[in-house]
Amino acid sequence: MNGRERILAHLAGKPVDRLPLMPITMQFACDLVGARYGDYAMDHRVLAEGQLRVAEQFDLDYVNTMSDPAREAADCGAAVEFFPDSPAAMVEERALLSDKTALARLRVPDPLGGGRMHNGVKAIALLRERVGRDKLVEGWIEGPCTEAADLRGINTLMLDFFDDPAFVRDLFDFVVAMELRFARAQIEAGAELIGIGDAAASLVGPQIYGEFVQPLEQKLVDGIHALGARVRLHICGNTRFALEGMGRLGCDIVDLDSMSPLDLARARMGPAQILLGNLNPVTVLRDGTRDDVLAGLARCHLQAGPRHIVGAGCEVPRDTPHENLRALADFARSTAATPATPP
Amino acid sequence: MTPIECLFKAVIDGDAKTARIVTADALQAGVPALDLVMEGMMPAMDEAGRRFECSEFFVPELLLSARAMKSALELIRPILAQTGAKPAGRVAVGTVRGDLHDIGKNLVSAMLEGAGFEVVDLGVNVAAEKFIDAVRTKDVKIVAMSALLTTTMESMRTTIEAFRTAGLRDQVRILVGGAPVTQRFADEIGADGYSASAPGAVLLARKAMSGTA
Repeated sequence: MNGRERILAHLAGKPVDRLPLMPITMQFACDLVGARYGDYAMDHRVLAEGQLRVAEQFDLDYVNTMSDPAREAADCGAAVEFFPDSPAAMVEERALLSDKTALARLRVPDPLGGGRMHNGVKAIALLRERVGRDKLVEGWIEGPCTEAADLRGINTLMLDFFDDPAFVRDLFDFVVAMELRFARAQIEAGAELIGIGDAAASLVGPQIYGEFVQPLEQKLVDGIHALGARVRLHICGNTRFALEGMGRLGCDIVDLDSMSPLDLARARMGPAQILLGNLNPVTVLRDGTRDDVLAGLARCHLQAGPRHIVGAGCEVPRDTPHENLRALADFARSTAATPATPP
Repeated sequence: MTPIECLFKAVIDGDAKTARIVTADALQAGVPALDLVMEGMMPAMDEAGRRFECSEFFVPELLLSARAMKSALELIRPILAQTGAKPAGRVAVGTVRGDLHDIGKNLVSAMLEGAGFEVVDLGVNVAAEKFIDAVRTKDVKIVAMSALLTTTMESMRTTIEAFRTAGLRDQVRILVGGAPVTQRFADEIGADGYSASAPGAVLLARKAMSGTA
């Protein structure tokens, strides 16, 4: 069973030879091929080399095109600061939508128009060409709350929920239209799984999540499913307050950060939901020993149950000891995954 | 409700307009500015912090309270300055070099202001030299550094080393925080304190000023 077959079978509730292994690697993968992170984020060939190397060397079941949250915003014309060897970041004091009326003039960028989104689509095509059907290729888009924060400024958006809810709804609608167009381009290029990153959603609390964010995440999830791909949702941070809503989205994979307990997620989302994670990436994966990693993974698996995918709570930090990342593969390889409850 | 109770409620409710009106009316009526701070604003921000710690408030609600607090403080601060009232301490706050994430830093700033500290907000992507300059020129006693990324948290280490090189390490208490930062990392780089939350940062700052941190 190869990586792609393993993931797809696991998602479908069919027997697999072992637990799938899908940690998020970006800076770690970049360092592995000796590249500078600015090049990894801007040049699809560098990203693909990094992903291929990390997947090969650490026996990952998939490759992924995530690099930073600024691809779509950059193509919209937002101010983005690029660093030579760390991820790009939004410049909030020059936020694209600091003037709310600019939203009416904003157009969804063409994901094949030669910008950063196009670079992401090219990465998908190249990865698909290189891995064929051996490993799953995952594309990446931003979720409604995160992308809206990128365009409006995260501090301002947090107040907009109270000051101007109608504007937030219009902004979220724009974001979902843009992200679905980006997702479609990635799926057409060969992505079989689309990851949605919605880190900012962990900041808002249950009332705003339920009223504003979850319904738009639902539109994204439904839209991606209609395009024929599967969905992973990853929200960085503590999402205890949102677990039920996240579980109702119908995501194929819910990827949890280490602050959100897997046993609580299992209780809130039911036995069928595939949960990914959620080893603490800093205190255990990077700073712990191999034994710490194996013990932590065992705890995660005990909490998640058989419908589990091995990974860290968030990105594998760039200076993680290789021995510790190998421990993830060893754990996945030695753990059978009997589908106790088919979806 | 008394004017002070009204101010307390307006800050908790995140109602900046009412907070400003209530403050203006109270000052007009002769309520001492310091009473508005000590009995209205500070307890309100303490309460907002408590609600944040126990997940009754989230980031939007805390930012709303901070905005209400600041709208009142704008009226009160000039009066306090005239009376010679001293802040609880002066804190330079910034997100470290290479990092543009500021929401955590802003929450810490707001909570510190709400606790009576004077905040020198150095912004984001702050170089070590800028923190050092704040200590040299602005009589800052506490430096509070924030980082969101595992890569940029290393700038905290280089900033602390720069303070040592400049011969200023003993003159300032250095606090660190941010998603990837841990107590272990804070100890390793020689910080004086670590907090996982904005309300926790206020406790650290109070301890630092009393010489117990």
